[in-house]
Amino acid sequence: MSPRWSRRDFLASSALAALFAAYHPGAAARSPSLPWRNWSGALVCQPQGRFSPSSEAELAKFLAATSGPVRPVGAGHSFSPLVPTDGHLVVLDRLSGLLSHDPAALQATFGAGTRLGDIGAPLEAVGQAMLNLPDIDRQTLAGATATATHGTGIGFTCLSAYVQQLRLVTPRGEVLDIGPGHELFDAARVSLGALGVVTRMTLQNRTPYRLKARNWVAPIEEVLEHFDAQAAAHRHFEMFPLTHSDYALTLAIDETDESVNNPPASPEEEAAFGEAMAYWASVPPRERQALVDGVAQQIEPTEAIDTSYKILSNVRNGRFNEMEYAVPLEAGAECLREILLTIKAKEVDVVFPLEYRYVKRDDTLLSMSSGHEDHAAISIHRMASEDYRPYFDLIEPIFWKYGGRPHWGKVHSLGAKQLAKLYPRFKEFQEIREALDPKGRMLNAHLRKVFLG
Amino acid sequence: MVTAGKGVILAMGVFMLAGAQASGASAPVNERAMALWARSCALCHIDGNAGAPRVGQAEEWGPRLAQGRETLLKHTVEGLNSMPPLGYCMACEREDFLAMIDFMTANLAAAPAGDQP
Repeated sequence: MSPRWSRRDFLASSALAALFAAYHPGAAARSPSLPWRNWSGALVCQPQGRFSPSSEAELAKFLAATSGPVRPVGAGHSFSPLVPTDGHLVVLDRLSGLLSHDPAALQATFGAGTRLGDIGAPLEAVGQAMLNLPDIDRQTLAGATATATHGTGIGFTCLSAYVQQLRLVTPRGEVLDIGPGHELFDAARVSLGALGVVTRMTLQNRTPYRLKARNWVAPIEEVLEHFDAQAAAHRHFEMFPLTHSDYALTLAIDETDESVNNPPASPEEEAAFGEAMAYWASVPPRERQALVDGVAQQIEPTEAIDTSYKILSNVRNGRFNEMEYAVPLEAGAECLREILLTIKAKEVDVVFPLEYRYVKRDDTLLSMSSGHEDHAAISIHRMASEDYRPYFDLIEPIFWKYGGRPHWGKVHSLGAKQLAKLYPRFKEFQEIREALDPKGRMLNAHLRKVFLG
Repeated sequence: MVTAGKGVILAMGVFMLAGAQASGASAPVNERAMALWARSCALCHIDGNAGAPRVGQAEEWGPRLAQGRETLLKHTVEGLNSMPPLGYCMACEREDFLAMIDFMTANLAAAPAGDQP
């Protein structure tokens, strides 16, 4: 195998260093501001301006000196309208990178604007690794934790619950260091960006490790029958049920000492599943099952072994919109079955697989898995070029029927009254938000609905 | 990820740009845009992820440049194919994107045979 240059190596080259030497962080952006759009392109707004602070002090000064609406933005990966504002966007990109680390406690502090995909290598260099990662790693730490973004595994909480300490710049410009025991700790770890702007956070990590991922296809009912046992037996276990089909792609990931074996996919391999979905979509939904099942049974099992962060997250080149709810573990299988049956019965013309996985409970106020029970997280998707609303509108009430809680970063239509019934400590969060931001400058239309009803 | 060969070619391209900046010969480098580019666009435009045209590669940029600079800007702002709107750069304004397009398309060099992403 030929030696490789990583993006990190390239960006660290003397050539770019020379170019950046003259960079003046105070350089002002010109106006008027461009419209903002999220990753999928479904959300658009025209902000008054973009403010990209280079330090917490600069941010605190900005918030203290201004009074208009403000929304923080990470990578713009949320499908729910958390960001859109006609006020200022606070962009966290320059508050990024590894700031410090504690080898004894295996903890490390990062700027909150650090992309998840930019954490693995520097963390490995100091002898640490994140415990888990979500499927996509282009989000920022701030965005991922503010929305309780999670990976897969009954033994793993959402990322927010691995935060040991964070720094919050409040809407008034006060700088607060918040850790366990602080009255804001449980609220600030999953805040939807409604309590101020989180600028840095300390993560609980572990020593670096290698993972082996195995994919295979199996009948959905067979996977569901053994799901609990598989989830207990593997470090990570999940499935991607195919629509209009009896089959699912399954994924099991475990620690290994085996050598790295993770060759990049060829363009043909990368395109294969997309081509299969296009093929399925060419047939009307009512006639699709034999076709999907036939192709599914031809899919060969695959394996990959690599450093943890290279296995846990994937590059998703096709853009989409997503709805995800977490239902209590014991309701997961029935909820999934009803969704799949509804897609068939209503002949929903969708070929994008669902995702079904377990997430461990945590002690934050607003994580979708907060409280005293583990949850099954179920996701539905639509390609970005398609109108997701009819499909999501059809399926969302099924999630409600099973006591589902929405992922804060994904499409949902719930307001304060419904949410208060789903989260025992919702009122506590509302009171904290009101105290920190009485004028509601961190709220946009979506967050007013979520917190004020 | 890029191979060592590709990395050297790309680094040489950036050196050329740095030289151009120093001499004022062409493609003035905007340091703000360069920093923004490194944090966002570089995710794909160094190694050609998801079919992204690689910095400095004539064969990959040629057909795109033929559409005009404003069209490239529009595609960047609105997103195109796998590239999300704003190309992951939430801080970028119009002038930043235009500078990035100029940077990536300055001193275009032909890629060696068989060295396509």
